[in-house]
Formats: sequence, structure tokens, C-alpha cells
Amino acid sequence: MSATAHPTSSAVVSQSEMASPKGRRWISALTLTVLFLILAFIFVLPLYLMVLSSTRPGGYIFTEATNLMPSYTTLDNYSRLFAQFPFGRWFLNSVLQAGGYALVTVTLCSLGGFALAKYKFRFRNALFILILVSQMLPFNLLIVSLFVMMINFGMVESYLGAILPLAAHPIGIFFMRQYMLSIEDELLDAARVDGANEYQLFYKIVLPNIRPAIATLLVLFVLEYWNNLLWPLIVFRNPQNMPLAVGIASLVGQYRPSFDLVMAASTLATLPIIALFIFLRKQFMEGIAATGTGVK
Amino acid sequence: MSQIRGLLYNRKIAPIVFLTPFMVIFLVFKVWPVILAVNMSFQRFEGVQNQTYIGLANYNYIFSFDRFFTALQNTTVYTMGTLLILIPLPLTLAVLLNSGRVIKATAFRIALFLPALASLVVTGTIFRLLMAREGFLNSVITNSGLEPVRWLETAELALPSLILLATWRWTGINMMYFNAGLVNIPKELYEAASIDGANEVQMFSRITLPLISPTILFVLIISIIGGYQVFIEPLILYPGGNSPGDGGLTMAMLIYRTGFTSFEFGRAAAMGVVLAVIIFTVSFIQFRFFGAFRRED
Repeated sequence: MSATAHPTSSAVVSQSEMASPKGRRWISALTLTVLFLILAFIFVLPLYLMVLSSTRPGGYIFTEATNLMPSYTTLDNYSRLFAQFPFGRWFLNSVLQAGGYALVTVTLCSLGGFALAKYKFRFRNALFILILVSQMLPFNLLIVSLFVMMINFGMVESYLGAILPLAAHPIGIFFMRQYMLSIEDELLDAARVDGANEYQLFYKIVLPNIRPAIATLLVLFVLEYWNNLLWPLIVFRNPQNMPLAVGIASLVGQYRPSFDLVMAASTLATLPIIALFIFLRKQFMEGIAATGTGVK
Repeated sequence: MSQIRGLLYNRKIAPIVFLTPFMVIFLVFKVWPVILAVNMSFQRFEGVQNQTYIGLANYNYIFSFDRFFTALQNTTVYTMGTLLILIPLPLTLAVLLNSGRVIKATAFRIALFLPALASLVVTGTIFRLLMAREGFLNSVITNSGLEPVRWLETAELALPSLILLATWRWTGINMMYFNAGLVNIPKELYEAASIDGANEVQMFSRITLPLISPTILFVLIISIIGGYQVFIEPLILYPGGNSPGDGGLTMAMLIYRTGFTSFEFGRAAAMGVVLAVIIFTVSFIQFRFFGAFRRED
């Protein structure tokens, strides 16, 4: 099956291509592509229906449910969302909290990852394994005790309370360690010979070399916080402090939610992530690929 | 002063300095809460400050509590259901998109990945809209002359609905994991196999499957860990998270309710401990099973 991907890579491959009737293969490619077109339609449709419903007055959302073309289009839902709820505030909270979380977490993971990748010290491997195993801990085991800690630390309703319990990120430090393993020891030793101390080493040699990894983790962490609900739901009860996810959850909490407002809110919460994905697709994909194949 | 500086700049001390910020946060917010939770699981709480040790009473309570077993069963069925779909389907799609036979494969990868960009809250709101009594799904069903389905009002449909939602949300992500594994398989293996006259099914079972098995194990483990923690989906899909007849009641939902609606912190902590033990046991069995599986090959 790799033969078609590299039709000219070797004489043997082109021979095997000739062996199979070309017509049949072409039809098979067409059938497959059509099947994937249908599948892609099904997968994109719910997102499209979200945006479409957000532009219809509440009374028409269900009567127009199967109409895939825009109808009764209005932006009234959006203006009511901002007028009736502190939606702008939720959005700003999400930006600040997700940004703060990403910066704090990437800093901890880069510094810690460097120690794990490029130094030998006692208990290094034991620590590393402990950190990785903690990835398996269900967050539900921690929520109750963390909540009691938050009360005792006075961190309820605070950014620190929302960020710090999530900041020791096992996958993040694992990712940084793996990335830094590829930095040549000779490069570090050369800088040491030139008189750099260990901290200048990190700043001048390591940091410029791990920029792609930092970008990848920043994107992943922002996405992660932006989409997180469980912990912010527990930390924030005051609508003025809530991030988007908690705000939207409070909108749908009622028996029959106002789907017009909920869809407008959902659309506004999703569009920045889609924009980020369009501009930083490489980082999205790399992050997922690296975390996916790194664990063996 | 210069001694302290000298010590700080020492090559033996530097890694400790580098690791300290992470470890402090790790110990305070990951390790300590586990110890605290285990401790809390043996206590009864009167408010946050007042607690008394009550031995195994919380565990006795949850093991004689019907809803706990409903939640345990629902969560297990949900997790197994997602595994049955979310490994074979994305793997098949990834292999097909990598075969070089699909035109514009990258565009399809992106299209199938898009749902992963929607948060679970947004995914929940979308499916609550689509599965509403007069929503999109039922409109399509009645247009085809069939009886509408009460997706969100039937206990038996709660888990299928949640699995359907999960299929939409995770297929693209798992496909990307498998894709990353597939591109690492050397092309020469397939070329050599085709010289030896292997057909595509043989190539898949003899080359692709064994070489992709670390990725399968990875997806299996993260799916089990994620599946047993399912919470946001039923919380958003049902009014206040209340599914009909507890059909969509999950372990995480029950822990959240016990802790933050009934404020029974001790019982919630005990449930968390049981959940953690289950996740560790199931994951460990998978590691062992897959380890043996790979050695045989």
C-alpha cells in the first residue's frame, strides 16, 4: 500500500504497480475518497449547526433544524449574550487564566525537564517514574482534598487556586525531557569551558534550542485550560471570576436552556481555538504526535 | 555570600535548583492531596474544619450504596464502549488515509480532527441541541418516516448517547495518534513484503499491527483513564447532570455530587480512592497483557 505513495521510489515498486490493474485501483481511490467526504461531512456538521443555530432567533432553532442554509439570520443572540451575562468578562478571564496557566506550566516543565534530561543525580529515575505514574491519578480523587486545601490556603476564587493545582504537568515535563535529550552534551560542555555557569547554560544554549517545544506546549496548555471545566467549576462560584467553560455550563444548567444564547456562547468559545489551530497547526499536530508516540 | 553563590553554581546543585519549582508544586498539589484524600476517606466531616475518624464506615457505606454500583457499572460500560469504537475506527481511518489512495488525505485528517477543538462543554451543548426532542437528529428521523427517539429522556439511551458523543469528539485525536505511529514504520518493510507476495491484509496483520501496538497500548491506557473519569459530558447533556433513571450517572458525577452537593467529603474521598484503585488495576492489567502479547510476536 505504500507503493502508491512512492510510485517512483524503486523499480520493484513500479513493477508491483503494473501487476495490479490500474483501473481497479483508481475506482477504489475514488470510492474511498467519497466515503471520506461523507464521513468528513458528518464530523463537521455538528460544528456547522452550532454556528448556524447561533444566528437564528430562538423560536426558529427547532423549526429550522434540518435547514442547512442560513435562514432568519440575526446577530441578536450575540448582543443579548453580552447584555444579559458577563460574557465579555468570562472571555477575558479565560484568556488571562489560560495564558497564565500556560506560562507557569511551561516554565516549570522546561526547568524541570532540563534537570531530568541533562544531569545525573540520586533518585532521578525514581522521581521521573513517580511523575509519570501521577498521570494515571484520576483528578476526581484529588478534587475534594484539593478543595479543602484551597479553603485553608484562601485560594478559592483566585487565579493561583485555578492554576497551581494543574501546573505540575506530567506530560509537559516528559515532553520537555524527551526534547532536551536531543541537545548535544558537547554543546553544553563547550559552553562550560567558555566559562558559562549552569544557569547561563540554560538561558543561552538550552532556551534557544527548545523554542519549538515551548511553542508546542504553550499551544497545548492554552487549549487544555480553555477547554477545562471540572477544576475551574470548583474554584470559581462568582460569575465575575468564571472562565468561559464555567460560564457556559451555568447557562445550560437550567431545565430547558435558551439554545439561542448557548449556541452563540459556544460559537464564541470555539472560534478562537479554531483560529489558533489554523495559524499554529504544526504545533497542535506536533504536540499530539509527540505525546502519542513518546510513551512506550 | 560567595560560598552560597559557589554552592548554587555547583554542577551537582544546579539540577536540584532546576527541578525545585516543579517538585514543590508536584508535592503540594499532586502528592499531598492524595495522602490527604486517603486520610479523609476514613473521616466524617462536619463542615470543612471539623472531622472525626470513623474507620472504614465510608467504605462500608459506598459498598452498600446502590447508586455507587450503578455509577460503577455505567462508567465501565461507557469505557468499554468507547474502547470498542475508538480504537478500531480511528486505526482503520488512519491506515486508509496513509495508504496514499485517498485524494486530499490531509484535508480529511483536519476535518475529522476539528471536533477535538470544541471543548467538552461545547460538545455537550451541541449534542444536547442535536438530541433534543425536536432537534436535528429527530427531525432527520421523522423526515424518513420513523418514530422520533427520546435520546435524552430514556435511561437505556444514556450510555449510547454518551458513546456517540465520544465517538464524534475523539475519533480525530486517536486517528492522529495512530497516524503518528504509522509514519514511523519504515516503508521498506512494506516494499519487501510486497516482493514476497504479501497482500494488504497480511501486510496489515504482520507489519502494521505489531509495529503500531505501542501506540494502541498508549491509546488504550489514556482511553481507560479518560473513560473512567467521564463527567463533563453527562453534566452538560442532562439538566443539572441528572440523567433519566441514573442511566448516565458516572463515578466522577457521583463523587462530584457527594462532595459538592451533599458535602459528604469523607464519602467522596473514599469513592475517589476506589476509582483510583480501579484505574490503576485496569491499566496495569493492560500493560501486562500487552507486554505478553508483544513478546509472543
